[in-house]
Amino acid sequence: MRAQRFNSLSQLAAVMAGFAVTILLLESDALAVWAGRLEVNRAAMIAVRITSAIHNTFEPLGMENVRRQSLAGLDRLGWSDDPARLLTARKAYLGGPVQSERSCDVVVASGHIPLTTPARGADAPLVASIPLQTKLPQLPPAAAGKPRTLALVGDSMMAVGLSDILLRDTAADQDIHVMKAFRSGTGLARPDVFDWMAEYPAMIGDTQPDAIIVAIGANDAQGFVDNGKVLAFGSAAWVKVYQQRTAEFLNMLTQNGAHVVWVALPPMKSGAYNEKIAEINRITYTVVSEYPQVSWWNPAPYLGDDKGAYRDFATTPDGRITRIRQTDGIHMSDEGAALLAPALIHWLNPAPPVREAQADPAPQNPASHARRERRSRTIRR
Amino acid sequence: MASSNSNSVAGPRMLFPTVEFALFFLAVLIAAWGLYRFNTTHKAFLLLASYVFYGFWDWHYVPLLFGISLVSGIAARRIQASEAQKTRKMWLIAGIVICLSTLAYFKYTSFFFTTALDLWSRIARTPQVGIPSPLLPLGVSFFVFHAISLMMDAYRHKLRDRVCLLDALLYVAFFPQLIAGPILRASGFLPQLSTRRNPKAIRVNRALLLIIAGLFKKVVISNLLATRLVEQVFAAPQAYGRVDTLLAIYGYAAQIYCDFSGYTDIAIGCAMLLGYRFPRNFNAPYIATNPQDFWRRWHISLSSWLRDYLYIPLGGSRGTAWRTCVNLMITMLLGGLWHGAAWTFVVWGALHGFYLVLHRMWNALKWPPLLRMRESVSWRWASRLLLFHAVCLGWVFFRAPSFGTAFDLLHRLTVHGAATLATVPVMLALLPGLFGQFQPLRWRKSLEHELGCWPAMARGAAFASAIFAIELLGPSGVAPFIYFRF
Repeated sequence: MRAQRFNSLSQLAAVMAGFAVTILLLESDALAVWAGRLEVNRAAMIAVRITSAIHNTFEPLGMENVRRQSLAGLDRLGWSDDPARLLTARKAYLGGPVQSERSCDVVVASGHIPLTTPARGADAPLVASIPLQTKLPQLPPAAAGKPRTLALVGDSMMAVGLSDILLRDTAADQDIHVMKAFRSGTGLARPDVFDWMAEYPAMIGDTQPDAIIVAIGANDAQGFVDNGKVLAFGSAAWVKVYQQRTAEFLNMLTQNGAHVVWVALPPMKSGAYNEKIAEINRITYTVVSEYPQVSWWNPAPYLGDDKGAYRDFATTPDGRITRIRQTDGIHMSDEGAALLAPALIHWLNPAPPVREAQADPAPQNPASHARRERRSRTIRR
Repeated sequence: MASSNSNSVAGPRMLFPTVEFALFFLAVLIAAWGLYRFNTTHKAFLLLASYVFYGFWDWHYVPLLFGISLVSGIAARRIQASEAQKTRKMWLIAGIVICLSTLAYFKYTSFFFTTALDLWSRIARTPQVGIPSPLLPLGVSFFVFHAISLMMDAYRHKLRDRVCLLDALLYVAFFPQLIAGPILRASGFLPQLSTRRNPKAIRVNRALLLIIAGLFKKVVISNLLATRLVEQVFAAPQAYGRVDTLLAIYGYAAQIYCDFSGYTDIAIGCAMLLGYRFPRNFNAPYIATNPQDFWRRWHISLSSWLRDYLYIPLGGSRGTAWRTCVNLMITMLLGGLWHGAAWTFVVWGALHGFYLVLHRMWNALKWPPLLRMRESVSWRWASRLLLFHAVCLGWVFFRAPSFGTAFDLLHRLTVHGAATLATVPVMLALLPGLFGQFQPLRWRKSLEHELGCWPAMARGAAFASAIFAIELLGPSGVAPFIYFRF
């Protein structure tokens, strides 16, 4: 029988030492990535320096190959949740079209969308203010027999509430094919954390959407490093780079002629954060204005009070007081997102439901239809 | 070590499976053992570390945590100091009222207002009222329950020694249990604070296994099921047929178990490395064969808290059968409301109250053939299966954002549809998530024994390798623990 080692502080210290050495060997790469993803400030820069030094020390041992090969093996099994990584793995080992595991989107082994036209709005002078009331036009009806392909794009402002409602409202409509291309905790400010220019093509594959709803930017109220320089949020250099990135992102979205609604960021509860969000809205409005097929849409009249300021609660059409924002004061609740959905569905211009179209030959206003649907569900709840 | 999205709008949080927490914990562990010979300094340091841990989420709420701890500590001392029953009771009531008012203000104010206005709107025009909506402090339900436990245990003479304020503050704020439990009893934890920690009593192997098990359950199983199955179906049930819907319901049963038990495993493991013992919070709940058994296995620290501080003071099962049923329903309804300020949580609590009442009535039937049947193995498995599905029905209301979504989801169980979400990763996560609970206890014990024979450095290396494997298998980013919001 082998001897049991009794517990003591020296045993604990030796365990921790074994742990520290092994974890640095195996994870020095991941630690460097972690430090690079921290919110940019002095402490983060120190963390970057330290982890880079550790990484450089351990790199010659080649242990990170274990990590890379393990990840590649898992990616081949379809384990990864990173669209671009998954796509690369599948391209490398399978080639050709591959059906995604998700029901709504198809991932096909294709590369980046080639950007053939220069990004517009990258150098446009920033507007002084954004309009509160914005009109959302209606898309021309989809061609007969060709379902409209809608992509829901963005960060948690799309993932929480809005995408749920839009998916529910379009689930029964065979003429709308919805692709989910959103990821929480992302944005345009930090491509080092999540690069939308690489991830979006992987998310949509070669099924090009003809309509896109974008809600993004809530994570972008932070500084970033560009060409080795730390750019503070809101500085002239920061604005210039963010404007450029927004323009490139829009250029990519519209490359194949897709119509886009850019849902601006709603008013936020925290005053300081709200001011930063207003700045981001000004930038996106400036850029979007340069794209004729893109509509910048302000949700403040729906989610805000009379002056467009933040509010937690609103009255539903049937007179109920309901919470329209999450308790974090940032995201929309389901009921809040439901206030936006009719206008977005109206923009999408779906074919009227067959049964109702037969019963009522008069052209139906999809907005009022969606509103009726919403009201009936609200009352049912 | 999973990297957190520390720059996301959710704000920085020191979640357990993050590099931030690992660095914080390593520093605390080294310093705490460096100070262990000086018990008061050791405890003061742990208290400071706990406030730093909490302040990492939002410094503005540290005074609230301090205030609640202080109030409960002072009340407990006053209760202990007084001989007069009336005075003791007065201090207890005052302390509980302050604690529950704080909880009510932060957690239930807007729920109360919206419910009242909703009712009002059915009889008259809805008045224009500004509804207060304070930000919910992280873990407020947990630290308020700790504070109440301190005062109640003092009142019931369960604390041997006079409560020291430093101990009271640390008991309420101790970081491993601060934001999602397990809910410690003052009578069980305060005696640990009164004596110096013994390095020979640290169960290093057990602690490491608990942390690894917890990380695996949270980072791999729970996160994978959440992102690839549960969130998709609960977001838009209309898009899925019966197979996907059923998978999502089972998936949520596995997700919430792995999420919460994973959190408490890590909490217990961390506390163990610091030399403290926490009670067990989960004991393979899905192998339970009846609702009473389930609540002895699921979130044990909460169910026993509710039993001791709510159900028994209400009269427990000492009265008539009818009164017992009423007490059960009240306890479970309030237990549901504790989880969240929404009617869906109340319905979840009501369902479990109903199950408990039904089980009590069923148990009261003493017909001999029925008694024989209850003893059979086949009945045990049938009741296990039946209870699991009853629990799953409750989870639908627990998870769904509204009754509309919950009923839509249940309706989709009747609609034909292909299994679009039953991918290899999902099934590989779902099976251990549900059936892992059936593993014999001796496996873990023999593993712990085996580890005990290894050199300490090798154990550390094995621990690091396990974390490396978990990091590879887990989805990128870390979703917050489900119970943080409570």
